[in-house]
Amino acid sequence: MNSTIDQALSRRKIIITCGTGGVGKTTLSAAIAMRGAILGKKMVVVTIDPAKRLATSLGLQSLSNEPTDLTPQLKAAYHKIQKEEQLDPVIPQEITGTLSAIVPDTRKTFEDFVHELAPNPASAQKVINNPIFQIFAREFSGTNEYMALERLLALFELNQYDCIILDTPPTRNTLAFLDAPKTLAQFFEEKLIRWLVLPSNQLLATGMKKALGILEGLTGSGFMTNLFEFASALFKVQANFTANLKRISALLESDSVGFLLVTTPTLETAPELNHFIQVLRAHHFHFEGVAINRSLGYLPPLRTENSEGLPHSEKDKLDQAYEIITALQNREKHVIEHFHKSTGPNLLQNPDLVYAKLPELARDVHSVEDLLHVAMALDARFSQS
Amino acid sequence: MSSTTHLLSSVLQRNLLFVHGKGGVGKSTVSQAIALALAKKGQKTLWVCIEDPTQAPGELKEVKPHLWHLNCDFQLAFEEYAALKIKTTRLTQLFLKNRLMQYLAKAAPGIRELVLLGKTWFERNNYQHVIIDMPSTGYGLAMFQSTENFIKLFSGGPLFRDAESMLETLRDSQATGHVIVSLPEEMPLRESLELNEYLLQNFPNNPAAFLVNRLFPEIHLPQNFNPEHRTSPIAQSMLDYAQTRSWLEHHNLRLWTDAGVNYGSIPFVPPPLENTLLFLSEKLAQELSKRSYV
Repeated sequence: MNSTIDQALSRRKIIITCGTGGVGKTTLSAAIAMRGAILGKKMVVVTIDPAKRLATSLGLQSLSNEPTDLTPQLKAAYHKIQKEEQLDPVIPQEITGTLSAIVPDTRKTFEDFVHELAPNPASAQKVINNPIFQIFAREFSGTNEYMALERLLALFELNQYDCIILDTPPTRNTLAFLDAPKTLAQFFEEKLIRWLVLPSNQLLATGMKKALGILEGLTGSGFMTNLFEFASALFKVQANFTANLKRISALLESDSVGFLLVTTPTLETAPELNHFIQVLRAHHFHFEGVAINRSLGYLPPLRTENSEGLPHSEKDKLDQAYEIITALQNREKHVIEHFHKSTGPNLLQNPDLVYAKLPELARDVHSVEDLLHVAMALDARFSQS
Repeated sequence: MSSTTHLLSSVLQRNLLFVHGKGGVGKSTVSQAIALALAKKGQKTLWVCIEDPTQAPGELKEVKPHLWHLNCDFQLAFEEYAALKIKTTRLTQLFLKNRLMQYLAKAAPGIRELVLLGKTWFERNNYQHVIIDMPSTGYGLAMFQSTENFIKLFSGGPLFRDAESMLETLRDSQATGHVIVSLPEEMPLRESLELNEYLLQNFPNNPAAFLVNRLFPEIHLPQNFNPEHRTSPIAQSMLDYAQTRSWLEHHNLRLWTDAGVNYGSIPFVPPPLENTLLFLSEKLAQELSKRSYV
């Protein structure tokens, strides 16, 4: 038997959900956090979500950099569905846990971070005002990802939550997130910055001088001035940054953190998962398991009487619809069989790993109550293949 | 020809075509289908992916008559660009082999996006159509943003001038087209409106065309059917799923019509077991031609 999401919530203090865009990672991360709260834990979900997806899913206008407490809404929704539905017996009668959500403001986190690291406010401001920094702080080169990890470290050290769910930003590929701190760290690498910080004196090797000369020829002198200024400002925060980065890496490598892959049943699933496991191993991170979202396998097979008595044109359309759903179900089955063959003993029947299948929803999630239904489905029912 | 078909077919005809959309909406299939449909008309077409990790970096190959495919790779494009801009091979090598330059190229904000965009822009001269399968929304936008940023950062020099002429091409509605692909689901539809706003801010005279992909058949619904009233978002049966989905897609697309968006649509093609991208693209290309979009 694989472990359930509930067991993962008990053994980890942080679960990081990874996956490409469009797999339903944000909704699922929130549902996992909610599941923890139902089971009596103090939970928080952190999502890097420029599109306000999580807020919409919860029926809220917006979420912010500070935790929003959703426990009252959760309790109300729970009370309501308890009356209407037969609930899973593992779920307690009363909710004793709590649920909060945070959408970090990357830019603010970054500025706070620079202030914290800089030796004095003036040099912090100098970094923040630099045009290269301003672009840097926006969308590029792993900044979002790195700041998410900064926030994670701070939350972890606060020790106010039993478990933190971190929904990673959508990336081109699943693992870009894991490399982000390294990419950013390269910018801070001491030797490299030193080259840029040195005044253009004789200490520079001829080759380096020439290379910088070519760069200046390509970019113009204004850029070079800003680059040198940016580098010398970074140089001052470099030692502190490197120390922080080490703490983040140590946290990510610790037993407190598990990485969960969220994916959908397509042909890319098996290679994606194998690659994910390999990369985690190379980073010394803990693989927590896989959640296959948007599964249609749970829908009972078609009953023919549904289309009886309909006019021909209507019947054709219904048949088309069934054909699509059946094709999707068949492909899902095929993909999962293939996936089991290729991952085999790594994953299946491994009691330390989560293998969860989650239902494709008939409609979008719009409220705490909707999300509660999804959180309820995070049990064994949908995971049986 | 309806006004929708008119805008869409005009946009799909342009020399440089950016196919935008959120992850998972079928951008690769749709962009390849557009390229395929154009190639079938005998027009020399290049279909570009940005750093697809499943393909060899920088590989250029002829997939079908008149249809070429490039997996655009940063490192190769960067070297190519450096060689173009730095006059001698010796200096180019010195520049590329310098460790600081290597780090700056890798870590400096926006360089990557600018170089990748530059490469596709450069290729427009070699083909009748260059169709770009853009990375999903955020990162894709960063590609345009980087061009703007570079203009702000650089005070002159060849990079500045290239970034400026790139922007000029992107703004030109004769030369460049933008098409936004979405699924008929609420989140992608909403996000595509935000994306459109961003594109309009940057390219005010070059409006994007819209395409909805994987449109589910519109089936017969019981009277007063409204799945928003259902308690759980989880479906009870196949019929329930089909009805809910059909109702919802129709309902969701009001997000676009209410915003004044005209859109073209591609029906849901049942996926084969062993889904090859080319199989689906062929089907979609037929649908695009059938609807006179291409």
